[in-house]
Amino acid sequence: MEAKFISHDETTLWLDELAERHVVLAPMWDNTVVTFRPHVKGRVPVLDRMPVMPPKDGVFPQNEVLLKYKHEKDPENLDRTTVQVKETLPQETAVVVGARPCGTRGMLVFDRVYDCDKIRDPYYVGRRQNTLFVTVACTRIESTCFCHDVGSHPADAEGSDVLLVPVKGGYVAEAVTERGEELLKASFFKPAAAKVQEAEEVKSVNREKLPEAHDYTGCGEKLMARFDDLAFWTEQSAKCISCGACTYLCPTCYCFNITDDSVGLAGKRLRTWDNCMSFQFTLEGSGHNPRPTKAHRLRNRVNHKFAYYPELHGVIACCGCGRCIKSCPASVDIRAIVKAAQNYTPKQEEGGDER
Amino acid sequence: MSARNGVLSDTRELRVVGFLCNWCSYGGADTAGVARFEQPTDLRIIRVPCSGRIDPLFIMRALVSGADGVLVSGCHPRDCHYAEGNYYARRRLELLKQFLPITGIDPQRFEYTWVSASEGARWQEVVTKFTNRIHELGPAPRMQGGSGYDELCLKQIEEGVKQGPACPCHKERAL
Amino acid sequence: MSTLEQLKEQIRKALPDLDVVIGWEQGYDAMHATPLFIRTEEDIDRLIWSPLCVHSLGTYLTGLTKTPNVRKVGLVVKGCDSRAIVQLTQERMIPRENIVLFGVGCTGCLSHARLEYKVEQGGHYVEDMHSITFNGDKVEVAVNGDVESFDFDTVCLEKCLTCRFPNAIATEHFAGEQVPVAPKCEKAPSLEAFEKLSLEERFAFWQDQMRRCVRCYACRNTCPMCVCRDHCISTSRNPHWVSQETSSAENFMFQMIHTMHLAGRCIECGECQRACPVDLPIMLFRRTMVHAMKDTFGYISGADPEATPPLLTFKVEEDNIKERGW
Repeated sequence: MEAKFISHDETTLWLDELAERHVVLAPMWDNTVVTFRPHVKGRVPVLDRMPVMPPKDGVFPQNEVLLKYKHEKDPENLDRTTVQVKETLPQETAVVVGARPCGTRGMLVFDRVYDCDKIRDPYYVGRRQNTLFVTVACTRIESTCFCHDVGSHPADAEGSDVLLVPVKGGYVAEAVTERGEELLKASFFKPAAAKVQEAEEVKSVNREKLPEAHDYTGCGEKLMARFDDLAFWTEQSAKCISCGACTYLCPTCYCFNITDDSVGLAGKRLRTWDNCMSFQFTLEGSGHNPRPTKAHRLRNRVNHKFAYYPELHGVIACCGCGRCIKSCPASVDIRAIVKAAQNYTPKQEEGGDER
Repeated sequence: MSARNGVLSDTRELRVVGFLCNWCSYGGADTAGVARFEQPTDLRIIRVPCSGRIDPLFIMRALVSGADGVLVSGCHPRDCHYAEGNYYARRRLELLKQFLPITGIDPQRFEYTWVSASEGARWQEVVTKFTNRIHELGPAPRMQGGSGYDELCLKQIEEGVKQGPACPCHKERAL
Repeated sequence: MSTLEQLKEQIRKALPDLDVVIGWEQGYDAMHATPLFIRTEEDIDRLIWSPLCVHSLGTYLTGLTKTPNVRKVGLVVKGCDSRAIVQLTQERMIPRENIVLFGVGCTGCLSHARLEYKVEQGGHYVEDMHSITFNGDKVEVAVNGDVESFDFDTVCLEKCLTCRFPNAIATEHFAGEQVPVAPKCEKAPSLEAFEKLSLEERFAFWQDQMRRCVRCYACRNTCPMCVCRDHCISTSRNPHWVSQETSSAENFMFQMIHTMHLAGRCIECGECQRACPVDLPIMLFRRTMVHAMKDTFGYISGADPEATPPLLTFKVEEDNIKERGW
């Protein structure tokens, strides 16, 4: 597929045009952070940095109404009620613009869970099919970045429909899928010609900026070997404050909760993001909690990414974006925890087991 | 909780919520009723054991959920059925009153006062005055919108873009 | 002997009687510190003390002191952090007798957000910063071969501009010199600016801001004064104070819960806003409440271990509450 060029100014115009037909989620400044917000005409997207929020909101919104219901009382016999239920499947088509390759690749982790032979989540699949990803190749390697450790790189187009590579004056756009190619037919895209070479250089330069990749091979077994070692997890989780910043900002965290929001006799059934760092996540009706401390909970999060999921699906469920490290109020570093399990040597003394 | 999600339109009569203590103000409202004093009909009374039972969050929840005004009334100071509940209430409610302006919710939409069980006429005066005030203020703005695909949200963002940054302290996105 | 050396020495002496001492160590890069849990002599070597040490470590106390096997805890505290301990002691939320405080005098903490903004304004990329030095009232950042110098006041946390408690109070140990009390301004500039807005503008502002809250509860969990921990009413289904839905209204309601539960307790450590991954300006709420407390009851939370928090007491005739005529 032939690469195209689009200038910075025309990128905004292109989004204006797209926003007439689709919901366009693009990164915007919100105080000191960049988050995804619906694009409105004329607003210049912020494409030169990694948004603090992952792009998963585009396909797996934090709030999703699964259905609406209404109870009706039988006027003849008030003890009898009937319930009407109306499913609310997603209708919108969306284009998520400006995610980094790491964030977009996060959706692949979702696909294996919500769209596979055994399970097909109609809400997820509905949105997934209606959502295109226009990803911007990463040119800014931060200290929290480790996409290369988990088998990716700053210009990875896997999972994207279009990859934009920043070059002087604009972007070189490469279509990755057929639907992406369709997008590039817009008049704003010009032949890229000489820019292609520059784009290739941008890609390779940034790949080289990353330090040597850490080898996570076999980390699953090492982590599982520590599974019952609560002292290990207590030490690793000591500074964790058990909030949900890491999970909510994670492009690959896909757990949800379902609650009913009733207003009188009518209401809606909501699906919202859930968070395994929370005490309530595994709290049972009896009051028993199988993961009572933050050590249990952080163990679950790390193991899920680096042990359980790889065992089921063969790939690490972490895209290496580093949001969980960068946005952690206590700077808990997931890389360090996995490495600690990999390099574990038994100590003479056992530590305490505080929460 | 019915208007929590802005389900009902603003065209209805205004909603004024009253939190009344069981021993004095509720009795006062009763006295006013028995004496057949004419009263506005917008007030929905929630009876609580004591004004000391009232968490300022009751008032916030009511305001966020769509109340246009909230009135709290308890026993006069020195007259609390539980000796000192209303003293604690007074401190909390006063703080809330001072806090409200920062949220953009008009502090005029919230008031607290004391009415005893025998003061039917005073109750009539309080409730009439407060309800009239809320009618003058009109329906309270509702906090609406959410993230992502919300259509309403799109419209608001468009407005926001026209107006420029809303907060002067963040124009320079430094602090 | 430097403050850090003194601090290490004090900890080294006290450590045999303590199960753990919490301080700070260098984080994942040169720009970040992270909490350090000192259990052995060797751990002490990793301790650091600089304006990077932003975390209010008191937040770990309520959980830690209730844990079996942990009897005595040591804690390194700045001025604001020590106020949290004082306030918690007043409320009998922590077994103060089992806590040993190592106080320091603080000249202010770094705001990563403000520094990054300054660095970008200077035409650099923030990821190119590879070292930082604090030199009196200057901050020097080595960025991509250049050294950029900033006035500390322009890159510190906003709370440090109004700080009246730079020195840790009511501590068992104190390392280094007492820092002179020199607030740069009376009122936080952001609050000053915000108060110029009309009610309508403020409401519209919050409606827009609250949209972005993801309710990760980082603000709640970093707060040293939030003692309910796993049993917060904002995550309880019964009573059901807030919906799971993250709409502006529900998020705002959650913030109100946090604010109200901190009335007369908030010690303005600013951890809530610092922890917020989407930078909600929630300190506007906190500061307003703090000012209301001070104006009405003359109370400054966490300043005096002997004082009673105003909401736990009353006066029959209040000094500053005017009964409104009805």
